[in-house]
Amino acid sequence: MRLIPDGTRYYQPKDETWREDLRGKLERVLHSWGFDPVQTPSLEVFNPVHPQADKAFKLVDRDGSVLMLRGEYTTSIANLVHGMPEPTYPVRLRYSGTLWVRTRDAELGRQREYTQVGGELLGVSTTQADAEILSVALECLDAVGFPQAAVEIGHPGFVKAVLASTELEETAIQALRTAIHRKNAPELQALLETYKIKGSTREAVLQLLDLYGGVDVLKEAAGIAHSQAAKAALENVRLVAAELPPERFLFDLGIARAWDYYTGVIFQAYTPDFGQPLCGGGRYDVGLPAVGFAVGLERVMTALGEAPNLVPAFAIATSNRIAKVFRTQGKRIVQAWTNNQAELEEAAKAWGVPYLLLENYAIRLADGTKIDLEHL
Amino acid sequence: MTPLTIAIPSGERSKTFALTCLRKAGLVIPELEQSRSLQFDFPDVTLLLVKDPDVPVYVDVGVADCGIVGKDWILEAARDTYEPVDLGGNNYRFSLIRVAGSTNRIERIATRYPRATRVFLRERGISADVIALNGKIELAALTGLADAIVDIVETGRTLTENGLIENEILMQLSTRFIVNRAALKLKASRLRELIHCLAK
Repeated sequence: MRLIPDGTRYYQPKDETWREDLRGKLERVLHSWGFDPVQTPSLEVFNPVHPQADKAFKLVDRDGSVLMLRGEYTTSIANLVHGMPEPTYPVRLRYSGTLWVRTRDAELGRQREYTQVGGELLGVSTTQADAEILSVALECLDAVGFPQAAVEIGHPGFVKAVLASTELEETAIQALRTAIHRKNAPELQALLETYKIKGSTREAVLQLLDLYGGVDVLKEAAGIAHSQAAKAALENVRLVAAELPPERFLFDLGIARAWDYYTGVIFQAYTPDFGQPLCGGGRYDVGLPAVGFAVGLERVMTALGEAPNLVPAFAIATSNRIAKVFRTQGKRIVQAWTNNQAELEEAAKAWGVPYLLLENYAIRLADGTKIDLEHL
Repeated sequence: MTPLTIAIPSGERSKTFALTCLRKAGLVIPELEQSRSLQFDFPDVTLLLVKDPDVPVYVDVGVADCGIVGKDWILEAARDTYEPVDLGGNNYRFSLIRVAGSTNRIERIATRYPRATRVFLRERGISADVIALNGKIELAALTGLADAIVDIVETGRTLTENGLIENEILMQLSTRFIVNRAALKLKASRLRELIHCLAK
Protein backbone atom coordinates (compact mmCIF):
# COMPACT_ATOMS: atom_id res chain seq x y z
CA MET A 1 0.00 0.00 0.00
CA ARG A 2 1.09 3.54 -0.69
CA LEU A 3 2.05 5.82 2.16
CA ILE A 4 -0.86 7.80 3.65
CA PRO A 5 -0.74 10.68 6.17
CA ASP A 6 -0.89 9.98 9.93
CA GLY A 7 -4.41 9.60 11.22
CA THR A 8 -6.00 8.77 7.86
CA ARG A 9 -7.28 5.37 6.76
CA TYR A 10 -8.00 3.11 3.86
CA TYR A 11 -11.39 1.50 4.48
CA GLN A 12 -11.60 -2.03 3.06
CA PRO A 13 -15.04 -3.26 1.93
CA LYS A 14 -15.83 -4.87 5.28
CA ASP A 15 -15.05 -1.69 7.26
CA GLU A 16 -16.58 0.69 4.74
CA THR A 17 -19.79 -1.33 4.62
CA TRP A 18 -19.97 -1.07 8.39
CA ARG A 19 -19.16 2.64 8.34
CA GLU A 20 -21.85 3.26 5.73
CA ASP A 21 -24.35 1.25 7.78
CA LEU A 22 -23.64 3.15 11.02
CA ARG A 23 -23.72 6.47 9.23
CA GLY A 24 -27.08 5.55 7.70
CA LYS A 25 -28.48 4.62 11.12
CA LEU A 26 -27.44 7.98 12.57
CA GLU A 27 -28.83 9.89 9.59
CA ARG A 28 -32.13 8.03 9.78
CA VAL A 29 -32.60 8.94 13.45
CA LEU A 30 -32.02 12.62 12.66
CA HIS A 31 -34.25 12.37 9.63
CA SER A 32 -37.07 10.84 11.67
CA TRP A 33 -36.97 13.85 14.02
CA GLY A 34 -37.46 16.18 11.06
CA PHE A 35 -33.87 17.28 10.44
CA ASP A 36 -33.18 18.13 6.78
CA PRO A 37 -29.81 17.38 5.19
CA VAL A 38 -27.30 20.09 4.21
CA GLN A 39 -23.69 20.08 3.07
CA THR A 40 -20.99 22.73 3.31
CA PRO A 41 -17.71 23.12 1.35
CA SER A 42 -14.75 21.06 2.53
CA LEU A 43 -12.58 24.02 1.53
CA GLU A 44 -13.15 27.16 3.58
CA VAL A 45 -11.58 30.59 3.40
CA PHE A 46 -9.02 30.91 6.20
CA ASN A 47 -10.38 33.09 8.98
CA PRO A 48 -8.07 33.73 11.95
CA VAL A 49 -10.98 34.06 14.41
CA HIS A 50 -12.56 30.74 13.38
CA PRO A 51 -12.63 28.38 16.42
CA GLN A 52 -10.55 25.78 14.52
CA ALA A 53 -8.22 28.27 12.77
CA ASP A 54 -5.05 27.19 14.60
CA LYS A 55 -5.77 23.50 14.22
CA ALA A 56 -6.82 23.41 10.57
CA PHE A 57 -4.94 22.12 7.53
CA LYS A 58 -4.14 25.11 5.30
CA LEU A 59 -3.97 25.25 1.52
CA VAL A 60 -3.15 28.02 -0.91
CA ASP A 61 -5.79 29.11 -3.43
CA ARG A 62 -4.85 30.11 -7.00
CA ASP A 63 -4.73 33.82 -6.09
CA GLY A 64 -2.38 33.08 -3.19
CA SER A 65 -5.01 33.46 -0.45
CA VAL A 66 -5.11 30.87 2.31
CA LEU A 67 -7.81 28.22 2.53
CA MET A 68 -8.45 25.75 5.31
CA LEU A 69 -9.98 22.30 5.33
CA ARG A 70 -13.27 22.08 7.21
CA GLY A 71 -12.52 21.47 10.90
CA GLU A 72 -16.07 21.66 12.26
CA TYR A 73 -19.57 22.19 10.87
CA THR A 74 -21.24 24.61 13.28
CA THR A 75 -19.74 27.88 12.03
CA SER A 76 -20.31 27.00 8.41
CA ILE A 77 -23.91 25.93 9.03
CA ALA A 78 -24.66 29.25 10.72
CA ASN A 79 -23.45 30.93 7.49
CA LEU A 80 -25.57 28.56 5.43
CA VAL A 81 -28.68 29.49 7.41
CA HIS A 82 -27.97 33.21 6.87
CA GLY A 83 -28.26 32.48 3.15
CA MET A 84 -31.64 30.75 3.48
CA PRO A 85 -34.49 32.61 1.79
CA GLU A 86 -36.94 33.54 4.57
CA PRO A 87 -36.68 30.45 6.77
CA THR A 88 -39.48 29.58 9.15
CA TYR A 89 -37.80 29.04 12.51
CA PRO A 90 -36.95 26.77 14.14
CA VAL A 91 -34.84 25.24 11.38
CA ARG A 92 -33.66 21.66 11.90
CA LEU A 93 -30.59 20.68 9.88
CA ARG A 94 -28.43 17.57 9.79
CA TYR A 95 -25.02 17.03 8.31
CA SER A 96 -22.66 14.17 7.67
CA GLY A 97 -19.17 14.56 6.32
CA THR A 98 -15.42 14.59 6.72
CA LEU A 99 -13.48 16.89 9.05
CA TRP A 100 -9.73 17.40 9.33
CA VAL A 101 -7.48 18.35 12.27
CA ARG A 102 -3.87 19.16 11.52
CA THR A 103 -2.59 19.48 15.09
CA ARG A 104 -3.95 16.28 16.61
CA ASP A 105 -1.75 13.23 17.23
CA ALA A 106 -3.23 10.12 15.67
CA GLU A 107 -4.14 7.81 18.55
CA LEU A 108 -6.71 5.29 19.67
CA GLY A 109 -10.09 6.86 18.85
CA ARG A 110 -8.42 9.99 17.43
CA GLN A 111 -7.91 10.37 13.70
CA ARG A 112 -6.84 13.46 11.80
CA GLU A 113 -9.37 12.78 9.06
CA TYR A 114 -12.70 11.72 10.50
CA THR A 115 -16.44 11.87 10.00
CA GLN A 116 -19.08 13.68 12.00
CA VAL A 117 -22.80 13.11 11.78
CA GLY A 118 -24.74 15.79 13.60
CA GLY A 119 -27.78 18.00 13.92
CA GLU A 120 -28.48 21.65 14.62
CA LEU A 121 -31.72 23.19 15.87
CA LEU A 122 -31.57 26.87 14.98
CA GLY A 123 -33.67 29.94 15.63
CA VAL A 124 -35.14 29.21 19.07
CA SER A 125 -33.69 29.30 22.56
CA THR A 126 -35.90 27.12 24.73
CA THR A 127 -35.22 24.35 27.20
CA GLN A 128 -37.46 22.10 25.10
CA ALA A 129 -35.11 22.63 22.15
CA ASP A 130 -32.12 21.74 24.35
CA ALA A 131 -33.91 18.63 25.58
CA GLU A 132 -34.81 17.66 22.02
CA ILE A 133 -31.16 17.73 20.93
CA LEU A 134 -30.20 15.65 23.97
CA SER A 135 -32.94 13.13 23.19
CA VAL A 136 -31.90 12.86 19.54
CA ALA A 137 -28.26 12.40 20.58
CA LEU A 138 -29.22 9.60 22.94
CA GLU A 139 -31.41 7.94 20.31
CA CYS A 140 -28.49 8.12 17.85
CA LEU A 141 -26.25 6.32 20.34
CA ASP A 142 -28.93 3.68 20.95
CA ALA A 143 -29.27 3.19 17.19
CA VAL A 144 -25.58 2.41 16.69
CA GLY A 145 -25.38 0.04 19.66
CA PHE A 146 -24.67 1.87 22.91
CA PRO A 147 -27.66 1.07 25.11
CA GLN A 148 -25.58 1.82 28.21
CA ALA A 149 -24.29 5.21 27.06
CA ALA A 150 -24.84 8.05 29.51
CA VAL A 151 -25.09 11.72 28.61
CA GLU A 152 -23.45 14.21 30.93
CA ILE A 153 -24.97 17.69 31.07
CA GLY A 154 -23.24 20.82 32.29
CA HIS A 155 -23.41 24.58 31.92
CA PRO A 156 -20.15 26.55 31.69
CA GLY A 157 -22.06 29.66 32.80
CA PHE A 158 -22.34 28.17 36.27
CA VAL A 159 -18.58 28.02 36.92
CA LYS A 160 -18.24 31.42 35.25
CA ALA A 161 -20.84 32.94 37.60
CA VAL A 162 -19.35 31.38 40.74
CA LEU A 163 -15.88 32.61 39.75
CA ALA A 164 -17.25 36.07 39.02
CA SER A 165 -18.30 36.26 42.69
CA THR A 166 -14.58 36.26 43.64
CA GLU A 167 -14.36 39.69 41.95
CA LEU A 168 -10.82 38.84 40.77
CA GLU A 169 -9.30 40.18 37.57
CA GLU A 170 -9.24 38.19 34.34
CA THR A 171 -5.82 36.47 34.61
CA ALA A 172 -6.66 35.23 38.12
CA ILE A 173 -10.06 33.98 36.93
CA GLN A 174 -8.36 32.08 34.07
CA ALA A 175 -5.91 30.46 36.51
CA LEU A 176 -8.81 29.31 38.73
CA ARG A 177 -10.68 28.11 35.67
CA THR A 178 -7.76 25.95 34.52
CA ALA A 179 -7.50 24.34 37.97
CA ILE A 180 -11.26 23.70 37.99
CA HIS A 181 -11.15 22.21 34.48
CA ARG A 182 -8.59 19.68 35.75
CA LYS A 183 -10.42 19.21 39.07
CA ASN A 184 -7.04 20.01 40.56
CA ALA A 185 -7.94 20.49 44.23
CA PRO A 186 -4.44 21.21 45.62
CA GLU A 187 -3.73 23.82 42.97
CA LEU A 188 -7.13 25.44 43.38
CA GLN A 189 -6.61 25.69 47.15
CA ALA A 190 -3.17 27.23 46.64
CA LEU A 191 -4.55 29.79 44.15
CA LEU A 192 -7.40 30.77 46.49
CA GLU A 193 -4.80 31.22 49.22
CA THR A 194 -2.67 33.42 46.93
CA TYR A 195 -5.65 35.52 45.87
CA LYS A 196 -6.86 35.79 49.49
CA ILE A 197 -10.32 34.40 48.74
CA LYS A 198 -11.91 33.35 52.02
CA GLY A 199 -15.12 32.28 53.70
CA SER A 200 -18.18 31.21 51.75
CA THR A 201 -16.77 32.33 48.37
CA ARG A 202 -13.76 30.05 48.90
CA GLU A 203 -16.01 27.14 49.90
CA ALA A 204 -18.24 27.68 46.86
CA VAL A 205 -15.29 27.65 44.43
CA LEU A 206 -13.85 24.51 46.03
CA GLN A 207 -17.22 22.80 45.89
CA LEU A 208 -17.29 23.20 42.09
CA LEU A 209 -14.81 20.31 41.88
CA ASP A 210 -17.27 17.90 43.41
CA LEU A 211 -20.48 18.81 41.56
CA TYR A 212 -20.61 15.73 39.33
CA GLY A 213 -22.84 12.66 39.46
CA GLY A 214 -26.58 11.97 39.39
CA VAL A 215 -29.47 14.37 39.73
CA ASP A 216 -28.61 15.12 43.41
CA VAL A 217 -25.81 17.31 42.07
CA LEU A 218 -28.41 19.93 41.16
CA LYS A 219 -29.49 20.23 44.81
CA GLU A 220 -25.88 20.53 45.97
CA ALA A 221 -25.22 23.17 43.33
CA ALA A 222 -28.22 25.19 44.53
CA GLY A 223 -26.37 25.63 47.83
CA ILE A 224 -23.63 27.69 46.15
CA ALA A 225 -25.74 29.43 43.49
CA HIS A 226 -25.94 32.87 45.10
CA SER A 227 -25.70 35.23 42.13
CA GLN A 228 -28.46 35.75 39.57
CA ALA A 229 -26.25 34.35 36.80
CA ALA A 230 -25.47 31.18 38.78
CA LYS A 231 -29.13 30.66 39.62
CA ALA A 232 -30.12 31.17 35.99
CA ALA A 233 -27.54 28.66 34.71
CA LEU A 234 -28.63 26.07 37.25
CA GLU A 235 -32.32 26.65 36.55
CA ASN A 236 -31.58 26.15 32.85
CA VAL A 237 -29.97 22.76 33.51
CA ARG A 238 -32.81 21.80 35.87
CA LEU A 239 -35.48 22.63 33.29
CA VAL A 240 -33.69 20.71 30.53
CA ALA A 241 -33.21 17.72 32.83
CA ALA A 242 -36.89 17.77 33.79
CA GLU A 243 -37.76 16.97 30.15
CA LEU A 244 -35.54 13.87 30.08
CA PRO A 245 -35.56 10.36 31.56
CA PRO A 246 -33.22 10.62 34.60
CA GLU A 247 -31.59 7.18 34.34
CA ARG A 248 -29.51 7.97 31.26
CA PHE A 249 -28.25 11.40 32.35
CA LEU A 250 -25.38 12.62 34.52
CA PHE A 251 -24.44 16.11 35.56
CA ASP A 252 -21.25 18.09 36.05
CA LEU A 253 -21.70 21.69 37.15
CA GLY A 254 -17.91 22.02 37.35
CA ILE A 255 -17.37 22.06 33.57
CA ALA A 256 -15.16 25.03 32.84
CA ARG A 257 -14.29 24.53 29.17
CA ALA A 258 -15.41 26.71 26.25
CA TRP A 259 -17.47 29.26 28.18
CA ASP A 260 -16.74 31.90 25.58
CA TYR A 261 -18.23 29.62 22.93
CA TYR A 262 -21.19 27.86 24.53
CA THR A 263 -23.81 30.11 26.08
CA GLY A 264 -26.08 27.46 27.58
CA VAL A 265 -26.07 23.76 28.39
CA ILE A 266 -23.25 21.61 27.04
CA PHE A 267 -23.08 17.85 27.02
CA GLN A 268 -20.95 14.83 26.17
CA ALA A 269 -21.90 11.16 26.01
CA TYR A 270 -19.83 8.30 27.36
CA THR A 271 -20.15 4.53 27.22
CA PRO A 272 -18.70 2.16 29.85
CA ASP A 273 -15.08 1.08 29.31
CA PHE A 274 -14.35 3.60 26.59
CA GLY A 275 -12.42 6.63 27.81
CA GLN A 276 -13.47 9.19 25.21
CA PRO A 277 -16.76 10.97 24.47
CA LEU A 278 -18.80 9.46 21.62
CA CYS A 279 -20.67 12.67 20.95
CA GLY A 280 -20.89 16.18 22.25
CA GLY A 281 -22.72 19.42 21.77
CA GLY A 282 -24.39 22.37 23.37
CA ARG A 283 -26.12 25.70 22.99
CA TYR A 284 -24.42 28.74 21.48
CA ASP A 285 -26.74 31.73 21.16
CA VAL A 286 -24.37 34.06 19.34
CA GLY A 287 -26.42 35.94 16.79
CA LEU A 288 -28.87 33.26 15.73
CA PRO A 289 -29.75 31.03 18.73
CA ALA A 290 -28.74 27.43 18.12
CA VAL A 291 -28.24 24.12 19.85
CA GLY A 292 -26.52 21.17 18.23
CA PHE A 293 -24.58 17.96 18.61
CA ALA A 294 -22.34 15.69 16.59
CA VAL A 295 -21.32 12.03 16.76
CA GLY A 296 -17.78 11.00 15.83
CA LEU A 297 -18.33 8.12 13.41
CA GLU A 298 -14.86 6.51 13.49
CA ARG A 299 -14.73 6.86 17.28
CA VAL A 300 -18.04 5.02 17.46
CA MET A 301 -16.44 2.27 15.35
CA THR A 302 -13.42 2.13 17.68
CA ALA A 303 -15.67 1.88 20.73
CA LEU A 304 -17.78 -0.88 19.14
CA GLY A 305 -14.74 -2.94 18.13
CA GLU A 306 -14.74 -5.30 15.15
CA ALA A 307 -16.69 -4.77 11.96
CA PRO A 308 -19.32 -7.45 11.34
CA ASN A 309 -18.59 -9.84 8.45
CA LEU A 310 -19.65 -8.80 4.97
CA VAL A 311 -22.95 -10.22 3.81
CA PRO A 312 -22.18 -11.99 0.51
CA ALA A 313 -24.25 -11.48 -2.62
CA PHE A 314 -27.28 -13.76 -3.10
CA ALA A 315 -26.09 -15.33 -6.33
CA ILE A 316 -23.88 -15.25 -9.40
CA ALA A 317 -26.01 -15.11 -12.55
CA THR A 318 -25.04 -16.18 -16.07
CA SER A 319 -28.10 -14.56 -17.58
CA ASN A 320 -28.77 -10.82 -17.64
CA ARG A 321 -32.50 -11.41 -17.77
CA ILE A 322 -32.59 -13.63 -14.67
CA ALA A 323 -30.22 -11.35 -12.77
CA LYS A 324 -32.52 -8.40 -13.39
CA VAL A 325 -35.57 -10.30 -12.11
CA PHE A 326 -33.86 -11.06 -8.83
CA ARG A 327 -32.35 -7.57 -8.46
CA THR A 328 -35.80 -6.01 -8.74
CA GLN A 329 -36.74 -8.22 -5.78
CA GLY A 330 -33.98 -6.47 -3.79
CA LYS A 331 -31.40 -9.27 -3.99
CA ARG A 332 -27.71 -8.64 -4.70
CA ILE A 333 -26.76 -10.50 -7.87
CA VAL A 334 -23.22 -10.66 -9.21
CA GLN A 335 -22.84 -10.91 -13.00
CA ALA A 336 -20.93 -13.88 -14.46
CA TRP A 337 -17.62 -12.81 -16.00
CA THR A 338 -16.83 -16.08 -17.78
CA ASN A 339 -18.55 -19.08 -19.36
CA ASN A 340 -16.49 -21.45 -17.25
CA GLN A 341 -19.03 -22.71 -14.71
CA ALA A 342 -16.41 -24.38 -12.51
CA GLU A 343 -14.61 -21.06 -12.11
CA LEU A 344 -17.88 -19.34 -11.16
CA GLU A 345 -18.69 -22.02 -8.58
CA GLU A 346 -15.23 -21.78 -7.06
CA ALA A 347 -15.46 -17.98 -6.69
CA ALA A 348 -18.99 -18.22 -5.26
CA LYS A 349 -17.80 -20.68 -2.61
CA ALA A 350 -14.84 -18.44 -1.70
CA TRP A 351 -17.15 -15.44 -1.27
CA GLY A 352 -19.86 -17.41 0.51
CA VAL A 353 -22.38 -16.74 -2.28
CA PRO A 354 -25.03 -19.48 -1.90
CA TYR A 355 -26.47 -19.79 -5.45
CA LEU A 356 -25.49 -19.90 -9.09
CA LEU A 357 -28.34 -18.71 -11.34
CA LEU A 358 -28.48 -20.27 -14.82
CA GLU A 359 -31.01 -19.55 -17.56
CA ASN A 360 -33.59 -22.11 -16.42
CA TYR A 361 -32.62 -23.22 -12.95
CA ALA A 362 -30.38 -22.44 -9.98
CA ILE A 363 -27.67 -24.52 -8.32
CA ARG A 364 -27.40 -24.48 -4.53
CA LEU A 365 -23.64 -24.63 -4.13
CA ALA A 366 -23.63 -26.12 -0.62
CA ASP A 367 -24.82 -29.51 -1.94
CA GLY A 368 -24.96 -29.07 -5.73
CA THR A 369 -28.74 -29.57 -5.99
CA LYS A 370 -30.70 -28.04 -8.81
CA ILE A 371 -33.57 -25.76 -7.76
CA ASP A 372 -36.41 -24.25 -9.78
CA LEU A 373 -36.01 -20.49 -10.09
CA GLU A 374 -39.51 -19.86 -8.77
CA HIS A 375 -38.66 -21.77 -5.57
CA LEU A 376 -35.81 -19.43 -4.65
CA MET B 1 -16.98 -3.74 42.68
CA THR B 2 -16.29 -1.78 39.47
CA PRO B 3 -12.80 -2.82 38.34
CA LEU B 4 -10.22 -0.06 37.93
CA THR B 5 -7.25 0.02 35.57
CA ILE B 6 -4.39 2.08 37.00
CA ALA B 7 -1.21 3.12 35.16
CA ILE B 8 1.85 3.50 37.37
CA PRO B 9 5.53 4.09 36.59
CA SER B 10 7.63 0.97 36.12
CA GLY B 11 10.77 2.50 37.67
CA GLU B 12 11.52 0.87 41.02
CA ARG B 13 11.34 3.97 43.24
CA SER B 14 8.28 5.59 41.65
CA LYS B 15 6.52 2.23 41.48
CA THR B 16 7.07 1.57 45.18
CA PHE B 17 5.77 5.03 46.05
CA ALA B 18 2.68 4.60 43.84
CA LEU B 19 1.90 1.18 45.33
CA THR B 20 2.32 2.51 48.87
CA CYS B 21 -0.15 5.34 48.14
CA LEU B 22 -2.72 3.00 46.60
CA ARG B 23 -2.48 0.49 49.45
CA LYS B 24 -2.77 3.22 52.06
CA ALA B 25 -5.91 4.38 50.26
CA GLY B 26 -7.41 0.95 50.86
CA LEU B 27 -6.82 -0.90 47.58
CA VAL B 28 -5.92 -4.54 48.06
CA ILE B 29 -2.80 -5.03 45.95
CA PRO B 30 -0.62 -8.05 46.73
CA GLU B 31 3.16 -7.91 46.34
CA LEU B 32 4.00 -7.74 42.63
CA GLU B 33 6.06 -10.75 41.63
CA GLN B 34 9.51 -9.93 40.35
CA SER B 35 8.87 -10.72 36.72
CA ARG B 36 8.85 -9.08 33.36
CA SER B 37 5.08 -8.71 33.45
CA LEU B 38 3.80 -5.34 32.33
CA GLN B 39 0.25 -5.93 33.47
CA PHE B 40 -1.01 -7.32 36.79
CA ASP B 41 -4.63 -8.42 37.13
CA PHE B 42 -6.13 -8.53 40.62
CA PRO B 43 -9.82 -8.95 41.48
CA ASP B 44 -10.74 -5.24 41.54
CA VAL B 45 -7.63 -3.63 40.12
CA THR B 46 -5.51 -3.99 37.01
CA LEU B 47 -2.09 -2.37 37.16
CA LEU B 48 -0.26 -1.26 34.01
CA LEU B 49 3.47 -0.68 34.49
CA VAL B 50 4.62 1.94 32.00
CA LYS B 51 7.40 4.50 31.56
CA ASP B 52 6.76 7.75 33.47
CA PRO B 53 6.10 9.95 30.39
CA ASP B 54 3.57 7.42 29.11
CA VAL B 55 1.30 7.42 32.20
CA PRO B 56 -0.62 10.55 31.04
CA VAL B 57 -1.04 9.03 27.55
CA TYR B 58 -2.64 5.82 28.87
CA VAL B 59 -4.96 7.84 31.08
CA ASP B 60 -5.95 10.47 28.50
CA VAL B 61 -6.78 7.90 25.82
CA GLY B 62 -8.72 5.92 28.41
CA VAL B 63 -6.83 2.63 28.33
CA ALA B 64 -6.21 3.30 32.03
CA ASP B 65 -8.91 4.87 34.23
CA CYS B 66 -6.36 6.68 36.33
CA GLY B 67 -2.65 6.88 37.03
CA ILE B 68 0.12 8.08 39.28
CA VAL B 69 2.94 10.19 37.84
CA GLY B 70 5.21 13.15 38.55
CA LYS B 71 4.04 16.68 37.79
CA ASP B 72 7.06 17.05 35.47
CA TRP B 73 5.70 14.43 33.10
CA ILE B 74 2.15 15.80 33.41
CA LEU B 75 3.42 19.19 32.20
CA GLU B 76 5.44 17.61 29.42
CA ALA B 77 2.56 15.43 28.21
CA ALA B 78 0.04 18.32 28.27
CA ARG B 79 -2.86 15.86 28.27
CA ASP B 80 -6.44 16.76 29.10
CA THR B 81 -6.94 14.64 32.23
CA TYR B 82 -8.24 15.40 35.70
CA GLU B 83 -5.57 15.91 38.32
CA PRO B 84 -7.38 15.78 41.66
CA VAL B 85 -4.72 14.74 44.19
CA ASP B 86 -1.21 15.85 45.12
CA LEU B 87 0.40 12.75 46.58
CA GLY B 88 3.51 14.57 47.75
CA GLY B 89 6.40 12.14 47.56
CA ASN B 90 9.90 13.32 46.86
CA ASN B 91 10.43 17.01 47.13
CA TYR B 92 11.86 17.98 43.75
CA ARG B 93 11.77 20.87 41.33
CA PHE B 94 12.19 22.00 37.74
CA SER B 95 15.29 24.16 37.47
CA LEU B 96 17.29 26.08 34.93
CA ILE B 97 20.88 24.88 35.34
CA ARG B 98 24.14 26.35 34.06
CA VAL B 99 27.86 25.81 34.40
CA ALA B 100 28.94 27.76 37.49
CA GLY B 101 30.14 31.22 36.53
CA SER B 102 28.75 31.33 33.00
CA THR B 103 27.17 34.63 32.10
CA ASN B 104 26.73 34.50 28.32
CA ARG B 105 23.26 34.89 26.84
CA ILE B 106 21.27 31.64 26.77
CA GLU B 107 20.72 30.62 23.17
CA ARG B 108 20.38 26.84 23.42
CA ILE B 109 18.74 24.85 26.21
CA ALA B 110 18.98 21.08 26.43
CA THR B 111 16.28 19.13 28.24
CA ARG B 112 14.31 15.90 28.55
CA TYR B 113 11.20 18.10 28.73
CA PRO B 114 11.09 20.12 25.47
CA ARG B 115 7.41 21.03 25.62
CA ALA B 116 7.43 22.11 29.27
CA THR B 117 10.69 24.02 28.67
CA ARG B 118 9.16 25.98 25.78
CA VAL B 119 6.26 26.96 28.05
CA PHE B 120 8.67 28.16 30.78
CA LEU B 121 10.64 30.16 28.22
CA ARG B 122 7.52 31.75 26.75
CA GLU B 123 6.29 32.72 30.24
CA ARG B 124 9.63 34.45 30.88
CA GLY B 125 9.84 36.06 27.46
CA ILE B 126 13.10 34.26 26.61
CA SER B 127 13.80 33.12 23.05
CA ALA B 128 16.16 30.16 22.93
CA ASP B 129 16.41 26.97 20.93
CA VAL B 130 15.30 23.86 22.77
CA ILE B 131 17.28 20.67 22.23
CA ALA B 132 15.47 17.48 23.22
CA LEU B 133 17.76 14.84 24.78
CA ASN B 134 16.99 11.61 26.59
CA GLY B 135 19.18 11.68 29.68
CA LYS B 136 22.58 12.57 31.21
CA ILE B 137 21.54 16.13 30.51
CA GLU B 138 24.41 17.61 32.58
CA LEU B 139 26.80 16.62 29.83
CA ALA B 140 25.04 18.95 27.38
CA ALA B 141 25.93 21.96 29.53
CA LEU B 142 29.46 20.73 30.30
CA THR B 143 30.34 20.09 26.66
CA GLY B 144 28.77 23.24 25.26
CA LEU B 145 26.03 21.42 23.37
CA ALA B 146 23.77 23.85 25.18
CA ASP B 147 24.25 27.06 27.23
CA ALA B 148 21.89 25.81 29.90
CA ILE B 149 19.73 22.84 30.75
CA VAL B 150 16.25 22.45 32.20
CA ASP B 151 15.85 19.37 34.34
CA ILE B 152 14.44 18.12 37.61
CA VAL B 153 16.60 18.55 40.69
CA GLU B 154 16.19 16.64 43.91
CA THR B 155 19.24 17.01 46.15
CA GLY B 156 21.42 18.86 43.67
CA ARG B 157 24.38 16.63 44.47
CA THR B 158 25.00 15.53 40.85
CA LEU B 159 25.01 19.17 39.81
CA THR B 160 27.55 20.24 42.42
CA GLU B 161 29.80 17.29 41.60
CA ASN B 162 29.83 18.41 37.96
CA GLY B 163 30.41 22.10 38.62
CA LEU B 164 26.86 23.10 37.72
CA ILE B 165 24.53 25.42 39.63
CA GLU B 166 20.79 25.96 39.75
CA ASN B 167 20.33 29.33 38.13
CA GLU B 168 16.60 29.51 38.73
CA ILE B 169 13.99 27.26 40.27
CA LEU B 170 11.16 27.18 37.71
CA MET B 171 8.61 25.16 39.63
CA GLN B 172 8.20 22.91 42.66
CA LEU B 173 7.09 19.40 41.70
CA SER B 174 5.47 16.40 43.31
CA THR B 175 3.70 13.17 42.42
CA ARG B 176 0.07 13.44 41.29
CA PHE B 177 -2.97 11.23 40.86
CA ILE B 178 -4.58 11.77 37.44
CA VAL B 179 -7.94 10.50 36.16
CA ASN B 180 -9.48 9.94 32.72
CA ARG B 181 -12.41 12.29 32.04
CA ALA B 182 -14.93 9.62 31.11
CA ALA B 183 -13.85 7.23 33.86
CA LEU B 184 -14.40 9.80 36.63
CA LYS B 185 -18.02 10.07 35.55
CA LEU B 186 -18.78 6.44 34.72
CA LYS B 187 -16.94 4.97 37.70
CA ALA B 188 -17.81 7.91 39.93
CA SER B 189 -18.46 6.17 43.23
CA ARG B 190 -15.29 4.09 43.15
CA LEU B 191 -13.02 6.90 41.95
CA ARG B 192 -14.54 9.48 44.25
CA GLU B 193 -13.76 7.25 47.22
CA LEU B 194 -10.23 6.58 45.98
CA ILE B 195 -9.61 10.32 45.47
CA HIS B 196 -10.94 11.01 48.95
CA CYS B 197 -8.67 8.38 50.53
CA LEU B 198 -5.60 9.39 48.53
CA ALA B 199 -6.06 13.04 49.52
CA LYS B 200 -5.98 12.21 53.24
